[in-house]
Amino acid sequence: MKMTQYLGRGEWWFYTIVGLLCFFGFWYGVVAANVTPRQFLPAPHEVLLTFIKLLHEPFSGYTLLTHIVSSFKRFLYGFLLAVAIGIPLGLLMALSKWADRIITPFFESIRFVAPIAWIPFAALWFGTGIGGPILIIFMGAFPPVLINTYRGALYVEPKYIEAARMLGSGKIRLMTQVLFPAAIPAIVAGLRISTGTGWQAMVGAELIVASSGVGYMMVNGQSNIRTDIVMSGMIAIGLVGLVIDILLRQAEKFSTRYQEI
Amino acid sequence: MANIVFEDTQRSFKQSGKEVLAVGGINLTVADKEFVAIVGPSGCGKTTCLRMVAGLDMPTKGKVLVGGKEVKGPGPDRAVVFQQFALFPWKTVAENIQFGLRANGVDSAERVIRTADAIKLMGLDGYELAYPHQLSGGMQQRVAIARAYVLNPEVLLMDEPFGALDAQTRVVMQEELIRLARKNPKTVLFITHAVEEAVYLADRVVVMSRHPGLIREIIDIKSIRDAENWDSHSRIEDVMDLPSFVKLRSSIWRLLREHNLGSDH
Amino acid sequence: MGVGKIYKKLLRPILFIAGVLVAWFALTEWSGLIAPFRFPSPTETWNSLNIITFKGYGDGLLYQHILQSVLLVTLGFLVSSSLGVLLGILMGANKRIEAFVNPIFLTLRPVPPLAWIPLAIVWLGLGDAAKIMVIFIAAFIPAVINTYTGVRSIEVPQREAAAMLGIKQLTYYREVILPGALPMIFTGLRLSLQASWTTLVAAELIGATFGLGSILHQAAQDIYPGMILVGMFTVALCGWLMTLILAKAERWAMPWKPV
Repeated sequence: MKMTQYLGRGEWWFYTIVGLLCFFGFWYGVVAANVTPRQFLPAPHEVLLTFIKLLHEPFSGYTLLTHIVSSFKRFLYGFLLAVAIGIPLGLLMALSKWADRIITPFFESIRFVAPIAWIPFAALWFGTGIGGPILIIFMGAFPPVLINTYRGALYVEPKYIEAARMLGSGKIRLMTQVLFPAAIPAIVAGLRISTGTGWQAMVGAELIVASSGVGYMMVNGQSNIRTDIVMSGMIAIGLVGLVIDILLRQAEKFSTRYQEI
Repeated sequence: MANIVFEDTQRSFKQSGKEVLAVGGINLTVADKEFVAIVGPSGCGKTTCLRMVAGLDMPTKGKVLVGGKEVKGPGPDRAVVFQQFALFPWKTVAENIQFGLRANGVDSAERVIRTADAIKLMGLDGYELAYPHQLSGGMQQRVAIARAYVLNPEVLLMDEPFGALDAQTRVVMQEELIRLARKNPKTVLFITHAVEEAVYLADRVVVMSRHPGLIREIIDIKSIRDAENWDSHSRIEDVMDLPSFVKLRSSIWRLLREHNLGSDH
Repeated sequence: MGVGKIYKKLLRPILFIAGVLVAWFALTEWSGLIAPFRFPSPTETWNSLNIITFKGYGDGLLYQHILQSVLLVTLGFLVSSSLGVLLGILMGANKRIEAFVNPIFLTLRPVPPLAWIPLAIVWLGLGDAAKIMVIFIAAFIPAVINTYTGVRSIEVPQREAAAMLGIKQLTYYREVILPGALPMIFTGLRLSLQASWTTLVAAELIGATFGLGSILHQAAQDIYPGMILVGMFTVALCGWLMTLILAKAERWAMPWKPV
């Protein structure tokens, strides 16, 4: 019985490259077979060219870069709002049983509503203003921040608190110098999750209630049956999302550098 | 004939570019049905030696032979009892014990009998349907030993099996192991860093040092044990009071010191 | 026991709901602080609920919309996550397969499922087919990733114990790898279900004539806040129920897991 497999570097590269080749080969194959008009399924290099073109040539009002900035701004506002409310609230709930008792039921009942489901109200309240998408993004980013902050602060190992008390810490110092730093790894992990959900919520919002942004651009591409534009949008969304996640992952590593693995 | 032979066995690893000799050339023969314990500090290669007999690791030079045949891989003929128990949490106690038998095609009637015997032997009656997480450490290790024993292996390999247990449970398990060893003797290779445990259980004790891992001395226990009739005492504390025991234990401690002092890097 | 427990489990939730209802009435109907077109009053919401349950809205009764959405999600989720788990096991067990599939995965993974909706609409139009495609993608990826992680996380001592016992390869997969990976597989299933549900509602919101999302869409266009709230509430309730069912399935599948 084989327990684990060991794949040499050479073999790993071989299969990786073959995998990529098969994927793109299949794609090219379908395009070459002329099964559908070019507009429905462009060749990979055509998508890439469109992507590059869009970076400086406007479509549905703005260049791709401007759209990306638009999207990112919305995301940032919604995300920062979620953090500004989520972290203090989470800490409060961990420290005060009354706050916990009052807020938890509200939170639990709202949590199961998918961010997207807030779009009708967002449209009703904010029209096509920036408030709408921000609300949606907030609804996506808020739960992970709150939950992780709450849990992180709640589950600070009692021994740290006891040690601090034994050394004579007052309540405030306990909060700022023991509780908060100890909860930071969990908080950062929550931030990482919420950038993912917030970014996703942003995409959803832009597909419906926006007049700029990558999602909006994609919808326009879709109505014009420009698959290459739609795919360019997807690439942009994926790339930016990836960059954000990588940054947060570094933050996570940095915040846990004192902890044992 | 299930003996273990280490023939100029070496095992080296690559660690940050350098070659580290975990086990230098060692030569050792464990006779059929002999109980040999290996003691030494962490990093002296004792676990590596056991793993090479188990087939979970391969020597880089030299050979390891069991019953005259070179070891090529793991198998139920060389049953292993791991320090971390390594039970399958999703199987009940009975299923864990039976698993090896089932895999090797033992028919169900015989399986039931052998499993029941092993459960009785290790004092696990009533726990057949329990899951590992419901058991204490000591109980779990008993299941691990039962699982190894039920295979009726030629060689039993125990890698610090009582290391994860608390002191009291440890003592109980040591007494049980002696009982088993006398009743149903097998070729045993037992790794531990607890000298008392080694002296109590083994026929011979092998002292290893590290950097590189080498055998320094081999002390014969059996002759003294038989001469002083340790087995007439059923309690471990009575044996450990005997002057012959104390002398052996102290001399092994001195050997460990002598060969391992100053080798802290 | 006794009074304290009754208070916690029964009275407190009832008090909470009562409190919310009172506040709701107060803010909307009694004081008029919140305009009816911004947020519906309880009476309005109740009326909307009645209408859609018995007379219908958006071309159907409530239960029909629910059935449509839930069935679509369940089907898509089951098929997609099963395939995902299978792929995850293969990738976890065979490093060649992993190396082969990985690059495609790494490129597709950062793209959120919702971002596939425009593409699905271009390719498959506004019907159910596009929805199924997006649900499939949404459910597939978490299933694969978590299953793969689960397979890889089987601890070394257990693998060695299996080898020592002389377990054959097939039995090894069936009785060691699969049960060992089950906790993480269920985590993946949970994520898959959530993603499927969210994606379906979004897809229906964008372009559908039937289903819970379409209710939201229609109600938004009609500026009918009461119905919007009914829609949101139903979405949340269904999502919660499905998650509950999955949790029960998880506990049934893993009787050995300490609760």
